[in-house]
Amino acid sequence: MFRRILIANRGEIALRILRACRTLGIEAVVAYSEADRDSLPAQLADEAICIGPPDARRSYLSAPAVISAALVTGCEAIHPGYGFLSEDETFAEVVRAHDLAFIGPPPEVLDRFASKEGSRRLLGGLGLATIPGSQGMLRDDEHALDEAARLGYPVLIKPSAGGGGKGMRMVRTSRELESAIRVCRSEAKAAFGDDSLYLEKWLDDNRHVEVQVAVDRFGHGIHLGERDCSVQRRHQKIVEEAPTPALGTAAREQLAEAAVRAVVAAGYENVGTLEFLVDADGNAYFIEINCRIQVEHPVTEMLTGIDMVELQLRIAAGEPLGLRQADVELRGHAIELRINAEDPAHEFRPGAGTIERFHAPGGPGVRMDSHLYPGYDVPPYYDSLLGKLIVWGPDRPTAIARARAALEELVIDGVTTNVEIHRAMLENEAFLEGRMTTNMLDRIGSAAFLAAAAR
Amino acid sequence: MPEADPQHREQRAEGVDRQADHAAIARLADELLPALIAKLGTTRLGELEVREGEWRVRLRRPFGTAPGEGRRSTDRPSRSQPGHEGHGHARPTPEAHRVARAGDPSGNGSRPHGEPDRSVATSPAVGIFRPGARAAAGTRVRAGDLLGTVDVLGMPQEVTAPADGIVGATLVEPETAVEYGQELVRIELVVPASPGPVGEGH
Repeated sequence: MFRRILIANRGEIALRILRACRTLGIEAVVAYSEADRDSLPAQLADEAICIGPPDARRSYLSAPAVISAALVTGCEAIHPGYGFLSEDETFAEVVRAHDLAFIGPPPEVLDRFASKEGSRRLLGGLGLATIPGSQGMLRDDEHALDEAARLGYPVLIKPSAGGGGKGMRMVRTSRELESAIRVCRSEAKAAFGDDSLYLEKWLDDNRHVEVQVAVDRFGHGIHLGERDCSVQRRHQKIVEEAPTPALGTAAREQLAEAAVRAVVAAGYENVGTLEFLVDADGNAYFIEINCRIQVEHPVTEMLTGIDMVELQLRIAAGEPLGLRQADVELRGHAIELRINAEDPAHEFRPGAGTIERFHAPGGPGVRMDSHLYPGYDVPPYYDSLLGKLIVWGPDRPTAIARARAALEELVIDGVTTNVEIHRAMLENEAFLEGRMTTNMLDRIGSAAFLAAAAR
Repeated sequence: MPEADPQHREQRAEGVDRQADHAAIARLADELLPALIAKLGTTRLGELEVREGEWRVRLRRPFGTAPGEGRRSTDRPSRSQPGHEGHGHARPTPEAHRVARAGDPSGNGSRPHGEPDRSVATSPAVGIFRPGARAAAGTRVRAGDLLGTVDVLGMPQEVTAPADGIVGATLVEPETAVEYGQELVRIELVVPASPGPVGEGH
C-alpha cells in the first residue's frame, strides 16, 4: 500500500479521499488552488500545497502543477477524485512517466474507453445490449428515412463528432426527420467541421440505472450492485438510490453480472460504473462507462459496507481485490440527495457566498459528506456541489422517512441551495411509487414541480 | 508557445552538441508538436508535458479568451463578493495547515489575503526554488528583473522582481520545495523623490 499520496481535487471528494487515507494510515497531501486556501480538506490534510490560481486550467487541470506538487511533497501516487483530470489518459500517462501511481485505471484502459462510441462497440460485442441505431452514418435523406422506419419513431439524430447537444434532435415523424436532418447537418458542420449524422432509437420515459464494478490487476472482478439515478435536471443527477425500483431482484442481478463479465473481458481495471438506460419494458441498454469514483458512490457504500475509495487505493497499489462476489452483500435501501448551491427560483443559477450557519443532520442511517463549515466562502469558480446527504433504511419507505427528517434538520445559511427541489421530490407521487424517469423534472418544469408540491 | 529543454548535456563537444540540438528541435517541431497539439485539443488538460529521449516538450493552452484567464501569480485572487476584505468575521484557523508545508518550517512564507504586495517576489509555480545571482541582498533591481527560477519537472519558471528596489532577505532556502504564490525574495522599495498627485483612487 502507498505510504503517502497527493489528492488532486477539492471540496467534498477531497475530504472523502482524505478520510479513506486516515483509515488506511496513508499520509495525505492536498493540492489546492488559491481559491481553496481556506477549504476544509486543505486545513485537515497532513500537508497542503498551493498549486496555482483559481482558474482550474492553471491548477486542478494543470498536469505539470499537480505532478510537481506530488514530487516535491514526496508522494507515491495521485488520486484525481472525479471530474478534472480523473479520466484523462494523457495525464495518467504523464503521471506514470514520473514514476508515480495513478489511482484509477491505467492509461491504456482509459484510452480504450475514451470514446463513448468505441466503448459501446467494445462492450456491445461482449454481451451488453446497446441502444438500437442506424447502420453506419446516414448517406442521404432516403437512407435516413429507411433507417428511421426500421428503428421505429421516435428517433434521435446524433452527430458523429462532438457532443453537448449540438446537432442533436429528437423527431417523432418522417416529416420532422426530413426538416431536422438539414438543421442538424449544418449545426454539426459549424460546430465540429463534420456533418456526418447517425440515428439512435429514442426511449421515452427511460430510467437511468448504473452498475458499480471493481476489477483488480489480476482480472478478478466483482459488482457491487446498481444505483438508480433517474431523478435528473438537464442531464444532471440530483437524487440517486439503490436498489433501483425499476427492476426486480432477478433482473438486477442479471444486469450486474453481465456488466462485470463484459468489463473483465475488456481488460478493465480499478473501480468503474457502467451506465444503462432502462426502457418502460425493463430492457437495459448500455450507454457509457465512467472510469473513476463517482459522486454517488456512498449509496453503494451504505448498502455493502465496503469503502469504495479504499478499494480504489488497494487496486491501484497492485493488491488483489480480496473479495469474492459472494462476499458482497446488499442490505436495505439507500438514497443520496445532492445539495447544490443553486437557486431553484431562478433557473437553478449557481451561487457563491459565505456560509453563515451549517448543521449536518445525524441519527441512525444518516451520513453527510460535505466540506462546509460556518464562515467558509463558497468560491464561484467550481461546480456547485455543497455536499451529499445520504440516508439508509432497511427498506425504501424507511429510507424516505429518514431522508425527509434529515432534510428538515439540515441547516445551510448564507447561500441559496436546491433543498426545496428535494423536499418536493420526497413528496412527489411518482417518486414515492418508484416511477421516476430521467425526463420527469424537465417535462414538468422545475417551477411547476415546486408549485405542485407546495399545494 | 512550446518550449524545449535538453537535460543531461554535460561532457559533450559544444559545436557538435549544438548542431545535434538544432536537428533535434527541428525534428520535434515537425514530428512531435503537431501530434501533441492535436492531443491537447482532445483533452481537458491546461498544460501538457512529454519526454522524448533527452528532451522535454511542454505545451500550454493559451489563456485570455474567457473571464478570469490570464491572471498572473502576482494578482490577488479576485473574490467575487464585494467588500470581502472588510467583513471581519473570524475564520476557523485558516493558517493551521501551512505549518506543515514542505520547505517552509516557519510556516510564514505564504502571502496573506490582501492587496498585492509589491515588495515581495513570489513563486510562479509549485517546484524547487533556485535563486539567481541577482537575488543577493543589496542588489539594485528593476521591476521584471530575473531573481531566480522555480524548477517544475525540469522546466525553469522565472521568479521576477515585482518592483524597482533593492534586494533584501531571501525567505526560502535554495533548492527547497515552494508552492504557487509563496513569498521568496523581499524587495526594499525605492521611494520616488517626488510623490505623485494626491487624491487618486480610494
